[in-house]
Amino acid sequence: MAEEERALLGSDGGGGAAGPARRLSPCHPQRLAHRLLVLALMCFLGFGSYFCYDNPAALQTQVQADMKVNTAQFMALYAWYSWPNVVLCFFGGFLIDRVFGIRLGTIIFSIFVCVGQVIFALGALFNAFWLMEAGRLVFGIGGESLAVAQNTYAVSWFKGKELNLVFGLQLSMARIGSTVNMNIMGWIYSRVQHLLGHSGHSTLGITLMIGGITCLFSLGCALILAYLDKRAEKLLCKEQGKTGEVIKLTDVKDFSLSLWLIFLICVCYYGAVFPFIGLGKVFFIEKFRFSSQEASAIDSIVYIISAPMSPVFGFLVDKIGKNIIWVLCAVVTTLAAHIMLAFTFWNPWIAMCLLGVAYSLLACALWPMVAFVVPEHQLGTAYGFMQSIQNLGLAIISIAAGVILDTRGYLFLEVFFSACVCLSLIAVVMLYFVNHLTGGDLNWSARKRQKLQKVAATEAEEQERLRRQNEDDLAKLRPKADDFSFRNKYLSKLGAQLPDNYSSYLSTMAHRSVLK
Amino acid sequence: MRQLLLLAGLLAAAGGREVWMQYNPGWNGSSVNLLHVRAVGPNDTLHYIWSSIGAPAVLLVVTEGTSSALHVNWTQLLSPTPDGAIRIEPAGSVVYSTAVVFTKVFEYSKANVQEEVFYPTYDLSDFSWDSVNRTLNHTALTAEFVGGPATDPSGSFSNGSLAFRVTAYETSGRDETLPSLLHTANSSKVEFVLAGAAPRGNSSWFALEVATVEEAGVVQRLRLARSIDDEYTPTIFETFSLVAESRNDSSTLSFLQWKATAYGSQAPKREDSIQCHSGSLKAANWTLPRSSIVLAYFGEGVGSTYTISAVNISFGGEDGNIYEEKRYLSWSALLGFGQPPKDTFSPLVISIMAVALGTPMVLLVVGSCVVLFAQGKRYTEYEPIN
Repeated sequence: MAEEERALLGSDGGGGAAGPARRLSPCHPQRLAHRLLVLALMCFLGFGSYFCYDNPAALQTQVQADMKVNTAQFMALYAWYSWPNVVLCFFGGFLIDRVFGIRLGTIIFSIFVCVGQVIFALGALFNAFWLMEAGRLVFGIGGESLAVAQNTYAVSWFKGKELNLVFGLQLSMARIGSTVNMNIMGWIYSRVQHLLGHSGHSTLGITLMIGGITCLFSLGCALILAYLDKRAEKLLCKEQGKTGEVIKLTDVKDFSLSLWLIFLICVCYYGAVFPFIGLGKVFFIEKFRFSSQEASAIDSIVYIISAPMSPVFGFLVDKIGKNIIWVLCAVVTTLAAHIMLAFTFWNPWIAMCLLGVAYSLLACALWPMVAFVVPEHQLGTAYGFMQSIQNLGLAIISIAAGVILDTRGYLFLEVFFSACVCLSLIAVVMLYFVNHLTGGDLNWSARKRQKLQKVAATEAEEQERLRRQNEDDLAKLRPKADDFSFRNKYLSKLGAQLPDNYSSYLSTMAHRSVLK
Repeated sequence: MRQLLLLAGLLAAAGGREVWMQYNPGWNGSSVNLLHVRAVGPNDTLHYIWSSIGAPAVLLVVTEGTSSALHVNWTQLLSPTPDGAIRIEPAGSVVYSTAVVFTKVFEYSKANVQEEVFYPTYDLSDFSWDSVNRTLNHTALTAEFVGGPATDPSGSFSNGSLAFRVTAYETSGRDETLPSLLHTANSSKVEFVLAGAAPRGNSSWFALEVATVEEAGVVQRLRLARSIDDEYTPTIFETFSLVAESRNDSSTLSFLQWKATAYGSQAPKREDSIQCHSGSLKAANWTLPRSSIVLAYFGEGVGSTYTISAVNISFGGEDGNIYEEKRYLSWSALLGFGQPPKDTFSPLVISIMAVALGTPMVLLVVGSCVVLFAQGKRYTEYEPIN
């Protein structure tokens, strides 16, 4: 009965909004045009951060020549981005839910991103490499948390089936940002060099400042989004969005072996992809004799491919299931790509396209596996931990890659990356067998999972119904203490015909028709 | 005859040679430099005669047997007609001879991509050289020819010098300093060093002209080998080889091999690398400087009976400022007899790949066995009820 009341109110509220009686102004937060605007702002929120993340990779030769650093110091620029996120991954959700709120939190993180990029550029202008590293640190504090905020906004404004589309669009915009960065920054540098007449640390500084304009743009989006969100809150009486993450570090001891293997796969795989892209441009120039533009283009192909392929693979993996097999395919493909790049002179476009496809596939198949292995109340901790050690792995592997390149060259570096991917492969194989032997559900097909979910749902319903029935029965058996029931009991014992108004079941039926 | 000697040379490369170095044999002065390096193997002897008389050059003479000796007629050598002043006795034991001459150093600026503005050439035959006796090291088997232009109107060499460092090898091995060339007992290293000389422009490139002299019946080729292995010279994948092939059977008689890089510091690291390009090998029919030892050994017929080819090797950075900052340029090449040595993968790389690729395979096999065994066990645990 209580459900029926709720349902009526719900349909009332919804029906009222869509009914012809009430007219919505064009700026009402529920109108499609408004929501599209908010969607666009949400997508561009992360654009600046992803654009500036790969600035070092796009300008590797220039950074190394102007700041006079070797590859190990150059890769420290990536390591410093990852170091704060080892710890911050756990606090992002907490900061957004409890301390700042989504609106202020997004603005603060955007400011960190902007300020970080500005400090990075100032470091180049003043020829102080330590200042550049500090800038990357500040940038890192804002960057990853901004992604969490972006996701929270999406969940708060869009629900159900649209949410997948929104996440997909956000990811695509991020990838577009990285691609544009790879292909444009080199050109901007050459224009600035032409303008100034010489190349040096000041040329680099000005180029990075120009790149920082995208961060200002993202900050603008954050401010507008905060205003619109506040307005929507007032008009729709909805609460501020929350991440809903609960982090309890003591949950770590409950993590199963499967989950630790998933963590290992994550660390080793991403450690063989992102540092490689960071060093890739010069690799293609030196080994394959590509021009600077072609090298930038091929370095960005991984991102270009993942923009359209991620939603496709997401759909595929959701439909088919069997996540471990997909992860296995992705890891083997990446291994093949690295071996091709290391031991042959074959056209690297092939290897890089394979890498792009494998990277998209792995992202779609790996992260959902965590949700299958971990109970819901520990999910926040599990994802936070996964991101934390992913960042730790990236930081360490970035620096190791730089050192290896300086002392041993590109062949050894590629062998190192292949070894990382092989370690990931070992983890996948072990995960498959552990999952098989313990009767786990990671490798179920989607149909089987749906069937079992339905069975579980009907069972739960059945149990709920039985419980309610038991409660009703118990209530009926319990004696009622009022006069009406005493008279009823006495008269029924006598066998007398009860008048209509004494019949309890008739009165309840009358009540019911009024409610309908 | 030559094939036999090449085979013997291979054995010597594996086994090693005994190396003796002599400075100005039969001459007491030190105003001119002639360094005789004798590498004696089990069946043959290699004579390297390095000299800075005229243009700096090296004469490589291969003789069979272990008792060949160098005879130098110093008065004739230092005269305007040095033909025949240098002889290897016994003359019949000489199997093969070749010479490499470093003739000129060009300096040009590449301020515009299309135009190259050439500064006045440094002609190496007009240089004055310090005595090699001071730099001769019998234990390390190295010597250094250091010099500067006799007349220096632009004053670029006031604080600098140009040098050729020579290293002889007794066994095969690999250098410790970059570019870590792999050498055999059949080879010697020559290192061209430009230190402290002031560049005459803002974005100067330098080019060294290297000429080779070959007998008739021998063809010179410039080969570019691209390898996937850059373990020993990080980020450098190309190796140039100037090989002398016999016309009859295309066997490689001698080689001058170098990696496509130069380095900008005394203790070079990867980031000190300077780009190195090679021009194409051209026939050079001009006359070599008169007082060169090449003329002394090969005689007047050097222009006609012997073929002279030259190649320009240039060094510089993308924007040309690299030498301006570092004021140091070092380029190494290996000169030797027989086949040039080939780099192979280091055992570390092979072992890492073997372990990395092998472990998942092993795990897959072991895991499948475990799964099958466990499944078999499960089935046998069930017993029919009736």
